[in-house]
Amino acid sequence: MDIRLLTSADLPLIQHANLENLPENYFLKYYLSHALSWPQLSFVAVDASRPRRSEYEYPKIVGYVLAKMEEEPADGVPHGHITSLSVMRTHRRLGIAEKLMRQSQLAMVETFQAKYVSLHVRVSNVAARHLYEDTLRFQNEKTEAKYYADGEDAFCMRLDLGAIRSQVDDDGAAEDE
Amino acid sequence: TGDVDDELPAAKSAEDRKAASALASLDANNDDAAAARDVDQEAVNKAMKSHGGAGAAAASKTNASAAKAAPTKNVKVDAADVALVVDQLELTRAKATELLKAHDGDAVKAMRGFISA
Amino acid sequence: MPKPLAPKEAAQFRTVIRSYEDKQYKRGLKTADLILKKSPKHGDTMAMKALILNGQGKTDEAFALAKEALTVDMKSHICWHVYGLLYRANKNFEEAIKAYKFALKLEPESPQIQRDLAILQVQMRDYQGYVQSRTAMLQAQPQLRQSWTALAIAHHLSGSLSEAENVLTTYEGTLKSTPSRHDLEHSEAVMYKNSLMAEQGDYQRALDHLNGSAKHNLDRLAVMEARAEYLAKLGRKEEAAKACRALLDRNSEHPAYYEKLAAVLELSEADSRARKAIYDDKAHTTRLSERQAITSAPVPTKANFAAGDEFKQAAEEYLTLMLSKGVPSTFANLKHLYSDTFKKNTLKELAEKYLQSQSSDSSSKDKGEAAALYYLAQHHNYHLSRDLTEAMDFVDKAIGKDPKSVDFNMTKAWILKHVGNLQKASEMMDHARKLDLKDRYINSKAAKYQLRNNENEKALKTVGLFTRADTVGGPLADLLDMQCIWYLTEDGEAYAREGNIGMALKRFHAVGNIFDVWQEDQFDFHSFSLRKGQIRAYIDMMRWEDHVRDHPFYSRAALDAIGIYLKIADKPSANGVNGGDEENTEDALAKKKAAKKVKKEQQRLEREAADKQAKQDPNKASQSTDAKKKDDDPLGLKLAATTDPLGEAMKFLGPLLEACPKSSEAQIAGFEVYMQRRKYVLALGCLNAALALDSDSPKVHEQVVAFRSMLNSASDLAPKVAEVLEAEFKAVSES
Repeated sequence: MDIRLLTSADLPLIQHANLENLPENYFLKYYLSHALSWPQLSFVAVDASRPRRSEYEYPKIVGYVLAKMEEEPADGVPHGHITSLSVMRTHRRLGIAEKLMRQSQLAMVETFQAKYVSLHVRVSNVAARHLYEDTLRFQNEKTEAKYYADGEDAFCMRLDLGAIRSQVDDDGAAEDE
Repeated sequence: TGDVDDELPAAKSAEDRKAASALASLDANNDDAAAARDVDQEAVNKAMKSHGGAGAAAASKTNASAAKAAPTKNVKVDAADVALVVDQLELTRAKATELLKAHDGDAVKAMRGFISA
Repeated sequence: MPKPLAPKEAAQFRTVIRSYEDKQYKRGLKTADLILKKSPKHGDTMAMKALILNGQGKTDEAFALAKEALTVDMKSHICWHVYGLLYRANKNFEEAIKAYKFALKLEPESPQIQRDLAILQVQMRDYQGYVQSRTAMLQAQPQLRQSWTALAIAHHLSGSLSEAENVLTTYEGTLKSTPSRHDLEHSEAVMYKNSLMAEQGDYQRALDHLNGSAKHNLDRLAVMEARAEYLAKLGRKEEAAKACRALLDRNSEHPAYYEKLAAVLELSEADSRARKAIYDDKAHTTRLSERQAITSAPVPTKANFAAGDEFKQAAEEYLTLMLSKGVPSTFANLKHLYSDTFKKNTLKELAEKYLQSQSSDSSSKDKGEAAALYYLAQHHNYHLSRDLTEAMDFVDKAIGKDPKSVDFNMTKAWILKHVGNLQKASEMMDHARKLDLKDRYINSKAAKYQLRNNENEKALKTVGLFTRADTVGGPLADLLDMQCIWYLTEDGEAYAREGNIGMALKRFHAVGNIFDVWQEDQFDFHSFSLRKGQIRAYIDMMRWEDHVRDHPFYSRAALDAIGIYLKIADKPSANGVNGGDEENTEDALAKKKAAKKVKKEQQRLEREAADKQAKQDPNKASQSTDAKKKDDDPLGLKLAATTDPLGEAMKFLGPLLEACPKSSEAQIAGFEVYMQRRKYVLALGCLNAALALDSDSPKVHEQVVAFRSMLNSASDLAPKVAEVLEAEFKAVSES
């Protein structure tokens, strides 16, 4: 598995993965706007096992996290937001989502001084909730009624990034010495 | 208003609204709204002067190198050859003429050069 | 020169402009007509009216009026600007640039015209022109950092790296004080400048700059990666190794870091023990969290470098751990090792050994024995270790352990597909889908298998379970909106197999259109990225857009479409609806069947349209999207009835050859199209290219034969063309 920063050339296959996996889909331009507004925050997992069969083959994306900074935070606190996260069914339970999220969170703190990260999750999506609540320790803040187009409610979750902040500061101090 | 039909259909869910507003803000034209930074006006003026000179020099330099790249020596080009190259290689007249000139006006050389490039 | 407007009309004119900007088109038109009643020959008003008409989709009317506006007022920059905007909106970019330039000549101080021109120039990759425009814009607003950055970008894109760097340096010299540490725009500008130094090959200067100006840069990852890169390039191996280790601490799942570390430590490919040591070192020092250190131990990557017993031991540990946990993606995570025969066989033996050790305790549905059965099913289904009988045997045993497992049933469908039984594969995948109705992945797979089995209608119903219910036009409209290329392509290929070339072409054109949109998508970012200040990401986008159509998503649909057009050109009656003489009764039967299907489909669409009409709420005004989505050729009948199939094929072939010159498939298709069009020089160009790329291809050799026989029989070739063909073809035959 190869986990690395997203580039523009990855976008068609990210959109493809999103269309295969999730009901919320977007135009390519929306992905582009993420890549060009917060290029440090989005990551992909690439299936590194596939040898390139042709000059024009693109790396196969098996997971991605598409993240952003909230542009006008209602609470005035700079924070990140996860727009979309998915891992292909064939590559689940390998810890990919977790690794993608951790890379993104680190960059949120370093580049944009995010204090916390928020996200929405379908109330019925048990697997995703398990990842956010149990593995990544997100807290459920509130329920947003009928958040999704089909009428389903969303949980609004957030994770404080204070711990990452102190680690980054410690590293910075160590480097300066 | 009477203008309903001009407007985009309203986004139906919060999730959609988010994407729609992000995309709408893309072409917002607020270049001028960006505040001028903490710049030293005098320094800017000076920079502009030196830069204006450098810019002009660079422009003429690129023109010169462009001229070097495409040797437009006075090669005579036969109109019939231009027509032939346009037809065979599906180029514009301008491109066909350029190609012929680069091959001393020789249509055979030009076409051979084009497909073996 | 027209008379200036009276104050009242002048105010109304401003209203027109505002209405246009706010997309209040009806109000704008009304107001414009009021002005034109008083001053019928007011060019600017006519131009604005044309612009509004274009906004409403009345393109022809708009162009006619804009031309009229120009004839009454040739000297108006507004008229020329509008003319350019109309061309721009209708994608005739060259003409738009010309019109903008005219407008700018008349009104050199207009920032709006200058900006529109600049954006179009960079979109069209007219970098020389873009440098000029950006220089002028800098002169107009030298106090804005964006003006300087934009000029630097223009120089960079046009290839003048040092000039780009100079512009950035000049701007920095105008700053009174160093911007704050958290100034994102400045932080990015520093990294952009740093990347320019590196791109010039000046690694020492880039490194010094990195250690100085970028010491506290906000983009930590970029700084760390650049440091490792520069140190390696400068041959400072120890420091480079340290920099690589720092990167691995941050992300142990990026093989490129290990590669670089191995390179700077000068470990040879053969020195697998030393290479493996790098991984052993890393696997337990990942710092982000203790927990992650355990789960992320990159054993499958590490196993790359282990050999013999060492590999066997590592693999056994990993396999035992994963199978005991029942992780269904274990095989997906190990299959990269299969190119090595020893590792492939070892993994199989280990899985079998594990299976035997488990059979005594086999109560779990997914862990232990079940996981081992599943692993072996996938092993025997994989193309490097395929034995479909064995695969079927194992997967059936796995399903026996857990009949409701989506993964097991999905894999069975996959095996059936490899066996060649598309009907059964489709049924099995649909069965798997029903086991988890909330998972879109399995839904997508079920639809794909239905399409492979030519069940277009069923597939649409399947995907329709996840598309948005409220999209006008149903699931297909939603898939088109969301640019769902995989579905459009599979649907089109199914139609093509069924002989319904109208629908097939329709889908392939839809894919082509999506790529047009993707290319268009850049437009807004030329100014957006300057505002955001994320310059390196913008450059990355520009580089990608330069070759956007080399994506297999494009070439597959393009080759499909070209194939159909070639068939139409070959046999004018092949479009399935016109009938005609058939040489071959089987063919005729298939076509009749296809024609019948088309008719049925047409009736169904009409019925649905009528139903929708009947259901529509009469109190609600119909939405504009209805009008926009109205398709005057829903079945592609017009596409299939084309009288110029080769001309249509060129619309795909041109971009394909430009984007993928190194694709032998593209060159092979190019040869066929050019031969039929009697463009023999171009055909030979494709043939020579295909030979260079894939000299063993039987198809290419057929083409060589065809070309030779053409040369022998053709008598009407222009002498110069004949000379070119003889000369270039001979070169091929001799080699």
